[in-house]
Amino acid sequence: MEDRLSQNPLGFAAPGRMRSWHLAQCPLPVVHVLPAIAPRLFRPAHLRLPIDSATPHVVRVPLIDQRPAVQSYQFRHAPVPPAPWQTIVPPATHVRAGDFSPAPNCASAASCASAADRASAAPKPKRTRILPPRDVVKMGERFFFLLQPNLETILETSHLEFPRQPFPFQFDGMAFLMPRHGAVLADEMGLGKSMQAISSLRLLVRLGEVRRVLVICPKGLVSNWTREIADWAPELLVAVVEGDPQRRRWQWALEDVPVKVANYEVVVRDRELVAELGLSFDLVVIDEAQRIKNRSSHTSQAVRSLSRNRSWALTGTPVENSAEDLVGIFEFVAPGHLSDSMSPRAMGAAAADHVLRRTKDRVLKDLPPRLNRDERIELTAEQRETYRRAEEEGVLRLSKMGQGAAIQHVFELILRLKQICNFDTATGESAKLECLEAELDEIHASGRKSLVFSQWVETIGRLRGKLSRFGALEYHGGMSTAARDEAIERFKNDPRHSVLLLSYGAGAVGLNLQFSQYVFLFDRWWNPAVEDQAINRAHRIGAVGAVTVTRFLSVDTIEERIDEVLRQKRDLSDTILSQAESAPIAGLTQSDLFALFQLVPPQRSAA
Amino acid sequence: MGQHTVEPSITAACGFLTAVDSPSHGLFGGYLLVDMAGRPLEFHCTAPLKVSRAQQILYGATLHSHLHGQQIGATLLAEGTLQPQVVLTDLESMLHVRPHTKLPVALVVRRDTPPTASSFYVGTACVSPPSDHPEHASQLRAAIETLVASVDLCEPFERIRAAIEEAQRH
Repeated sequence: MEDRLSQNPLGFAAPGRMRSWHLAQCPLPVVHVLPAIAPRLFRPAHLRLPIDSATPHVVRVPLIDQRPAVQSYQFRHAPVPPAPWQTIVPPATHVRAGDFSPAPNCASAASCASAADRASAAPKPKRTRILPPRDVVKMGERFFFLLQPNLETILETSHLEFPRQPFPFQFDGMAFLMPRHGAVLADEMGLGKSMQAISSLRLLVRLGEVRRVLVICPKGLVSNWTREIADWAPELLVAVVEGDPQRRRWQWALEDVPVKVANYEVVVRDRELVAELGLSFDLVVIDEAQRIKNRSSHTSQAVRSLSRNRSWALTGTPVENSAEDLVGIFEFVAPGHLSDSMSPRAMGAAAADHVLRRTKDRVLKDLPPRLNRDERIELTAEQRETYRRAEEEGVLRLSKMGQGAAIQHVFELILRLKQICNFDTATGESAKLECLEAELDEIHASGRKSLVFSQWVETIGRLRGKLSRFGALEYHGGMSTAARDEAIERFKNDPRHSVLLLSYGAGAVGLNLQFSQYVFLFDRWWNPAVEDQAINRAHRIGAVGAVTVTRFLSVDTIEERIDEVLRQKRDLSDTILSQAESAPIAGLTQSDLFALFQLVPPQRSAA
Repeated sequence: MGQHTVEPSITAACGFLTAVDSPSHGLFGGYLLVDMAGRPLEFHCTAPLKVSRAQQILYGATLHSHLHGQQIGATLLAEGTLQPQVVLTDLESMLHVRPHTKLPVALVVRRDTPPTASSFYVGTACVSPPSDHPEHASQLRAAIETLVASVDLCEPFERIRAAIEEAQRH
């Protein structure tokens, strides 16, 4: 505030601020006046300090009285069915009626602690949560999954009994399948894909989510599927669509049968009939789904033409030859979700939420080990000479063809050379057979069983004759279903038969031969996926003891060169399914095939 | 599996009421109604409630009981269209909802927590019914008898927390 003394040096009372000093300190000249008249001259100084008279600022602290907004969701109620079956009881801490116990007198912490100890000592049950798939975007639907009890509880309250306790990873597989409209279960062979699919669809039927299910599988596996459904879902009625056209029409039209099983050929044959009947399925499950990898095939088109709500594909080999295989499968599972132009890494990322793959080494710590060994065989002298001549002549022929050389010419040469590696075409000698006989002698003597795979039925026939002392049996596509079933039964139950000879085509899919502890690959298939399928006939759930896998490889032949290409294919499959870095080129290209003989593929002319 | 309207004749077995405090969003409340098999029938969740520093100071020790009981709990219980036989909560402060509802509300805690005189053990949980309404105790026991055959009483709260976490992500 401005000091007004400069304007009123005598300090007379005046509007504004006043100031006073002691006489001795006054900087101004002092005039003494008579004490009598001083009071009349000087008024006492009054200090006036005006007080700010503005209204004080009030801070309002609002009370918390505003009710929050609420989002509400309501869900469909599936009535709990009556319990005609016994319930499975996984290790659980659930308490049934009558098991109430009043709290002990917990005057001491020790008594409370002991009660808690007893409760916590009980083994904690596995709780498998059903999580919403990524493509479920509505919040209400996502909540529906998140707010479900765990899968084990749903199974128990649905009164579903299992013949054997599923493995924890199989519960995970069921939790994966159940909420999905499009799914690929790509577990390694032998981990129970069919069991997981059957248990999942069984629960969906029980919950009222599906009523019409179609299972499509290779012809040789139809009886396998009906057996497994009877085993894992005995309450479900099953109809196998087979037989003459009239019978099949009647079977397709059945309405009270929740599950129908048909093979791929029937689905192709009855494609128009199914459309004519206006059939629509809540769920279609395809087994060995690699059968539809070729989108332009009649099989793929027929399967994809089925009217359905959910599409599940089961395959141990989703990527057999190239990334396009997976695209082909996804055209059934989730059309348009994948495309050929995607890099392997991008494809893996896009497919991730739809594909579940587990390998044995990760989920089955208790599974007996699989022992792989490559048996490198030196051809006999006669075989070597025959091989050398055939290769030289074949390569010369291809060279002379020049631009006229085509893929089938290369294939013909490869197949011829591979056959020579098995048996000398001139003398019938076989270095591989000699080695195999020695091994089988020991295995047969120990009472164990072996599987021997070959690409050719003719080779199987020759081996059967040579291995007759081991009671060798055959199993291939040229046999009737009844003959094949009989061969399996005899191999399984009769100790005199210790060797089963199988073709890759017929024997590599779906069979359960886990009582065999030895697998021999007499000659190699074109890709490791099918070989793995073959091996996993033995190395699967239920296997007793380690499984030894022997792969015969003729040294310094086309077999060694193909082996190297097969390694590259395995890398590709692992890359796509593990979303790792991008893989080297996939599959056997034309260049690869010609390169096996150090030839340059012909240049194609522009159309 | 989808979302559909509930048939009105169904009586929910049990309600589960809890709150989740998110440091970044605020306080969420969740109320889940399940049937006898533990399957969801209704779910109600609140928008996040944020409390200012001044309100924290003003309410002091009564803050949680006010927020949980009156603001969140009462609001959620009023939203339910089905009448459960019992409402369980895992938060002691949520018990302050009792004056605002006619439903029996009981506290559920893990078994290793020292119980009160009227508590009883069920599986891994310890249930404390309202002591000022003894007529509710028998109703509560009867309701739980059926439910515990299927459901661990503490487990539905985990589902509510998972749902609220999902809501926060979206």
